[in-house]
Amino acid sequence: MGVKARTEVLPGQQISVEQQQRLSVDGLLPSKIMRPVDAEDAARGLRVCDLTPAAVVVWGGGTQMRLGSVPRRYDVAFSTDAMTRLLEYEPADLTCRVEAGMPLKDLQAALRAHGQRLPLDPPHPERATVGGMLAANANGLSRARYGTVRDWVIGIAVAYPSGKVARAGGKVVKNVAGYDLMKLHVGALGTLGVLAEANFKVQAIPEAAATVLGHFEAPMPAIDAAIRLAHQYLAPSASIVLNRDALWACGMTADWRWTLALKLEGYGREVEAARDLAIRFVREAGGRVEGQDIPAAFWDAARDWSAPDGDIVLLRAITPLQAMQPVVDQLPADASVIAQPASGLIDLRLAPSATAGVLERLRAAAGGEGQVVVLAAPPSVKPAIDVWGPPPPGFPIMRALKQALDPNGILNPGRFVGGI
Amino acid sequence: MERADRDGLLLRLRGVVGDRYAFADPYEVRLYQYDASPETALPDIVVIPGTAKEVAQVVKICAEARVPITARSAASSLAGGTVPVEGGVVITFARMDSILEIDIDNLRAVVQPGVVNLSLSQALKPHGYYYVPDPSSQGACTIGGNVGTNAGGPHTLLYGVTVNHVTGLEIALPSGELVQVGGRNAAEAIGYDLTGLLVGSEGTLGVVTRVWVKIQPLPPVQKTLLAVYPDVATASNAVSAIVGTGILPAAIEMMDKLSIQAIEAASHAGYPLDAGAVLLLEVDGTPAVAEELGERMAKVCRENGASEVRVARNEAERQALWKGRKGAFSAMGRLSSDFYVMDGVVPRTKLPETLAKIDAISARTGFKICNVFHAGDGNLHPLVLFDAFEPGQYETVLRIGDEILKLCADAGGSVTGEHGIGLEKRENIRYVFSDDDLEVMDRIRRVFDPHGLMNPGKVFPGKGLKPSALRLPPGHLPRAAAALGAKDDLWV
Repeated sequence: MGVKARTEVLPGQQISVEQQQRLSVDGLLPSKIMRPVDAEDAARGLRVCDLTPAAVVVWGGGTQMRLGSVPRRYDVAFSTDAMTRLLEYEPADLTCRVEAGMPLKDLQAALRAHGQRLPLDPPHPERATVGGMLAANANGLSRARYGTVRDWVIGIAVAYPSGKVARAGGKVVKNVAGYDLMKLHVGALGTLGVLAEANFKVQAIPEAAATVLGHFEAPMPAIDAAIRLAHQYLAPSASIVLNRDALWACGMTADWRWTLALKLEGYGREVEAARDLAIRFVREAGGRVEGQDIPAAFWDAARDWSAPDGDIVLLRAITPLQAMQPVVDQLPADASVIAQPASGLIDLRLAPSATAGVLERLRAAAGGEGQVVVLAAPPSVKPAIDVWGPPPPGFPIMRALKQALDPNGILNPGRFVGGI
Repeated sequence: MERADRDGLLLRLRGVVGDRYAFADPYEVRLYQYDASPETALPDIVVIPGTAKEVAQVVKICAEARVPITARSAASSLAGGTVPVEGGVVITFARMDSILEIDIDNLRAVVQPGVVNLSLSQALKPHGYYYVPDPSSQGACTIGGNVGTNAGGPHTLLYGVTVNHVTGLEIALPSGELVQVGGRNAAEAIGYDLTGLLVGSEGTLGVVTRVWVKIQPLPPVQKTLLAVYPDVATASNAVSAIVGTGILPAAIEMMDKLSIQAIEAASHAGYPLDAGAVLLLEVDGTPAVAEELGERMAKVCRENGASEVRVARNEAERQALWKGRKGAFSAMGRLSSDFYVMDGVVPRTKLPETLAKIDAISARTGFKICNVFHAGDGNLHPLVLFDAFEPGQYETVLRIGDEILKLCADAGGSVTGEHGIGLEKRENIRYVFSDDDLEVMDRIRRVFDPHGLMNPGKVFPGKGLKPSALRLPPGHLPRAAAALGAKDDLWV
């Protein structure tokens, strides 16, 4: 059966040319769209795709669709936009259960009404969905203190190509029954199943918050100050080092070469003490603390910066905390840079033409324990580069896991590590 | 295992670890038949490897011979997680107990699986750091075992459980490979998060040979309070009130009347004997913040029915308060010759009604049930007191346990918060997972372990399981404290 014939027998809606364009992935266009209304419906849809077989790309808010290698095939856009309900929320338990298609901003609004929040801040929360955040393991700047998606998901319901919905975890904050499949699906880019529901633990919104900005002439003193702060009990909830380009992109007009921005959160007195400590460490590292007006949208802009649209390429280097210098030394002069020293991350924005060369240099600099991945790139660049880098140790297990859960390879084929 | 097969296997294993560290003498292997649960089963062979490479070779040889493998260290599992229920080879980590690296710069430590939990924090203390998860058995239990069960502890309320503090693992697979997943990085490794999957898999996917953990700075001050209540319902409501203020303490522990009596008899922690329940609360912070939070919490406790709130004035007083809690299980010996520990979880808001139902079970059956537990995260540890010499009591106690776990599951909770499913709860897992859920987990298990050799008989509901090779007679149920030669600082 030919490629065309396969998709013709699929149920689901035919889509308009305009929809096709909107749902394109790396230049590939889908021929059908499926919009399941709940977990069971999603599993039924996947079963049909599996029998056909038709290649499925899952769509949430589309903020991370530029992540990953070019799909091998793309037949069905599997959208979670009809699964947006907040299913359960008990503020006194600090837990909630939501459908995967719920935009993060809506979830945060519901939590905020009770003085609570999910301390995860991936880019573009107005569009990013809960399911997309999980699948892409999209984290924001507050990971330094609060951890990442994996630390806050306590349960999931997943639709599999077998047509079954299977759950893992539960609704309570402490639970070791069965395998922790939340971990397996977080960051799997939808290659093992379609996340239909997620349960989270949440926290009270901190009583106080403050920002400290330090001005540096060179990147390493700023990075070292941030790492030193990360070793303190009063560690910031976010610490980022921006070069001038990135600072401007975040709405600041200051003409500083390198800026250390620190977000401090906690109880009132705690934040006061943390602020004093942060200022002292900045000064001891040779930085200047400037009484700068910080635009209200600064942290949001810095958060969204790592998920650019258009032709911009975004690379991320991941190293142990003390192994950042070799990467910093190799940063191209014209790149826009935001590092998260407390997490060993350096993100840089590049023009597409420079990508291959920079990627190679950074991978060499990142060393044996480091990795450099392409978080976003236009389709014109992707065929010439290795988006994920060499497959990690344990890759044969990963491939076997994929085979076990998606034997016909219909889920996001080819987009993940090592061609999974 | 047939004797000839066993002898042949023993010879091959001795070729790997040396004659001294592999044995099959019935007398010698008897020590490895139990853990801190009442279940027992004899292994055929016990191996004590000295290196990860040896572990990998042992696993490979066993896998080729299709012989079950059960890994254990301290064997403080309360759920029978390390009982070799299908016999075969027990690998024990008594010789792999080194802290390989303390890497303050990168906020990591690298340890062998046999490192005792508490000794890691003790080694870190001079540097001003600690490893957060602190099961009450931390003086005996090991990091390898903690990884197996995704262990918790009182202070995981604020800071998270084992999986939140493990960044990498080296594992030996049945193929004989040693694979490192994750590692030192603060950020996620590329590919599926196998580290996260392996933590809590109870030894059914591979044998852990090395662990990378996060370390964090010690809080400058830990303020500890004891709040006294007339009954558990009032105390439970106070817990909700505390959480409702937006303050999440580092720990909120509850002990009911019976537990208080046992604890006071055993360790003189200073808990008031006439109390219906006490809460043990701890907040971390700088001196000023800890002081302020302590006062705020004391106020909330008083406003919500506490007849008295005591604040530890110094480290000695703090240690005394914690000593009572951490020694609570051992103290039960003062009340009863035997007890059975449960590990259910309910949503915090369901604590009062769940405790009332457990009380009703106690009244109906005539068995005393103590409650010592992590109230902050709804993790209950009902202890059913009984006398194993009385025929039929143990069987009744198991039925009571079953009923309590069903209660927890029906309240929207779980059948285990930190002890693991093990052997004990492999049927109870059905209270929280459907066949479809378990089928997906089983597929994942078979990816790692196609022949079902890794700690078989655990986690999943029984499929033609062999009965325990040996059940000790009534009155000889092994008690963990005695089994481990430990003193009074064991458990949970």
